[in-house]
Amino acid sequence: MRIVISCALLIILSLGLVFALEQAPLGSNHIDKKDKPGRYYLDQGMEKTGAANVVTSVVVTYRGFDTLGEVTILFIAAIGLGAVLYSRKKEKRDQKEKPSASLILQTGCRFLFPLIVLFGTYVFIHGHLSPGGGFQGGVIIASAFLLLFLGCKEKKIPMKSMNAVESLAGIIFVGIGLAGLYWGGSFLENFLPRGMPHMLLSGGVIPIIYIAIGFKVGAELAGIVAGLIERNP
Amino acid sequence: MIVGLYTMLTKKNLIKVIIGLSLFETGIHLLLVVVGYIQGATAPIFSKTTGSSAEMVDPTPQALVLTAIVIGVAILALALSLAIRLHEHYGTLNLRKIRELKW
Amino acid sequence: MVAVLLIVVPLGLAFAMPLFNFVSKHIAGYIPIAAMLCNLILSILLLPSVMENPQIVVLGGLSPPLGIHLVAGPLGVGLSGLISLVGLAVSIYAWGYIKQGAQDKYHALYLLLLSGATGAVLTGDLFNLFVFYEILCISSYALVAYLGDRNGVESAVKYLIQGSVGSGLILVGIAILYGMFGTLNMAQIAIHIKDVDSPAIFLALVFLVTGFGVEAAVFPLNAWLPDAHSTAPSSISAILSGIAIKVGIYAVARVLFTIFGVAVVFQYVLLLGLVTLLVGEICAFSQDNIKRMLAYSSVGQVGLIVFAICIATPDGVGAGLFQLVSHALSKAVLFLGVGYLVACSGSMSLSSLNGIGKRMPVVCFACVVAAFSLVGLPPFAGFAGKFLIIRAALAGKGIFFTVLIGIVLLATVVEGAYFFRMVQTLYFKDAKKQIEFKKTPASASIPILALVVLIVALGVYPDVLLPYLKSAAADLLNKAGYIKEVLG
Repeated sequence: MRIVISCALLIILSLGLVFALEQAPLGSNHIDKKDKPGRYYLDQGMEKTGAANVVTSVVVTYRGFDTLGEVTILFIAAIGLGAVLYSRKKEKRDQKEKPSASLILQTGCRFLFPLIVLFGTYVFIHGHLSPGGGFQGGVIIASAFLLLFLGCKEKKIPMKSMNAVESLAGIIFVGIGLAGLYWGGSFLENFLPRGMPHMLLSGGVIPIIYIAIGFKVGAELAGIVAGLIERNP
Repeated sequence: MIVGLYTMLTKKNLIKVIIGLSLFETGIHLLLVVVGYIQGATAPIFSKTTGSSAEMVDPTPQALVLTAIVIGVAILALALSLAIRLHEHYGTLNLRKIRELKW
Repeated sequence: MVAVLLIVVPLGLAFAMPLFNFVSKHIAGYIPIAAMLCNLILSILLLPSVMENPQIVVLGGLSPPLGIHLVAGPLGVGLSGLISLVGLAVSIYAWGYIKQGAQDKYHALYLLLLSGATGAVLTGDLFNLFVFYEILCISSYALVAYLGDRNGVESAVKYLIQGSVGSGLILVGIAILYGMFGTLNMAQIAIHIKDVDSPAIFLALVFLVTGFGVEAAVFPLNAWLPDAHSTAPSSISAILSGIAIKVGIYAVARVLFTIFGVAVVFQYVLLLGLVTLLVGEICAFSQDNIKRMLAYSSVGQVGLIVFAICIATPDGVGAGLFQLVSHALSKAVLFLGVGYLVACSGSMSLSSLNGIGKRMPVVCFACVVAAFSLVGLPPFAGFAGKFLIIRAALAGKGIFFTVLIGIVLLATVVEGAYFFRMVQTLYFKDAKKQIEFKKTPASASIPILALVVLIVALGVYPDVLLPYLKSAAADLLNKAGYIKEVLG
């Protein structure tokens, strides 16, 4: 009975969706007019912000407020997780004796960990030059921590300093925004010199913000994973 | 997207419902990316090999999808932590049995 | 420029909360109070200057429509003032009420909820509205499950799943709108909507209203509300019923009026509002659990507010906004007071509160005042609200509106029935067992009494608020004026 009703609802929903999307001009050049934001970002993006990756300049500068909201949402997830999983039964944790991993796995994990962290750092530092950016790099770093949790169970991860890094990175983001307010006239304005395009130090505040986001996301997701695997010291 | 919704509506296990939620959100993200597509255009990154900005895809939906993916991850993390807590209280994740709050 | 500070100050303080926690464990309770006090002062200072000309605050250095901007108009600043007022009262209450669990995380989440709400009412960009709306929703999912008990976690899961599906539908609506118009700025979409005349617009509207309606709890999307509002800690129930629902209503109204403005849709949503009102009041009548009763009453009041706003005349919208303010204040008082009553008697069932009026006179008096205000008795704020709504509805023509007014009055009678039952239980029934009398701490009574004073003041002098409501209603209704302010 439940399946029948669900299928009926879903068929109506899909018909509506298909109908609506047929009308929308998908695939055509819908940003050819001058006043559309998309055309402006593509044409002027590189000169105005100095970043070669237009998506990065959109995410950090033009729609930077959305990025602030997004960083906030990740922060909420990490804190909410900590609040919900607070004071779980501690006795249950000690009872289960998990077998430790084999020597090959432990050595492999310890070897791979700095390489993956390096790759993640590369991704978020080069966010304005190639595909990637703060979020992607942060996630890669967090997956390095996940590997460490799964493979080497005896290594201690300093969770308190992760929380401090996360908090500090968030404050740096807000601080850069307020500095833009003070020096540039509007919140999150790009007030540093642009530099040459395609260089590492171009783009004004974009690399700084992305580095802060990279650290924050990495620390946050590592904290979330640690909370789920019950590794809070 | 529709597959995700179907999973959410019919499955009994909470983890399967959460997986359905993830499928639903992935479908929506793909929809958003497709909205920005322009036929024959390339990725919006300037480098020595790409041409002018006239042949690039719209960058705004890609930025929107970045934000939406992060929001989806946050919701998933919270949902999983709630599932852990729920399992602690009820001992089961069968949604038909977790119905204490009635009318 | 000041409007940005309204959002950024609570956000920055919330980010810094773990660092404050390293310094001292007790400092966490004071931070939301400080942030909300700052917001309240800023909103009150900002309000007179935006009454005539809304301030457009540019973010990221790009003027609209290319970048994101905030529209600090009378509606936005007024609502953010309401948010900071109720937020301040509830944070003072929570300072003394929340004693278990990870308290610094509670206060951080609470502050983030309020900054999400403030951001949602102040923004002028559709996707930004979605992002701040999500901040509000996700913090409320986490806060509902804060106590970690069986019922709380179960209702948080249900709330989360329904809320996430709603958010997904909003994104689909935004995708369709972006595909058709290539911009996310609400004013620019409003201009171009007239050019395109296809049913896909209507579908985008349906998706958006459904998605935002999940949080606003219009029927049939309100299944999560009775569970979530009744099992959350009382301060969170107060904020959810008082603020979070209102932001949902604001989002629906902003989408309907400013972006779409199609006349025939208003009638449908008006009917939905009436159905919500009836469903809410009838279900509330049959409840024994007092917090669940209050939650269903919130559903009913949301229906009433949506009904008033969808009359789509300046009087109607102004009346709906007045009712919104009065309901936020009264419901906050009710949930905060009931929180301590339940803590004393140990159970949420109505019969366990017999005769508690003699033991805890201050709290019960406040609850009674708030209940009378909700029912609509003079001289309280609710009377002015309902009177304004009925007067606005009478101005509409035809039998149709008279029937609707009849239904509103019927619902008011039902509401009166269950609230009088509550008053009767509190005062006139004898206590069955000895209830331990815990003295209500000052941190609880002061905010409750302050809000009660406001309810009485609004009831006796409703004209104080009316000029603000008129400009706020004009802000919502005057689509051409909004476009001109934003795009120049």
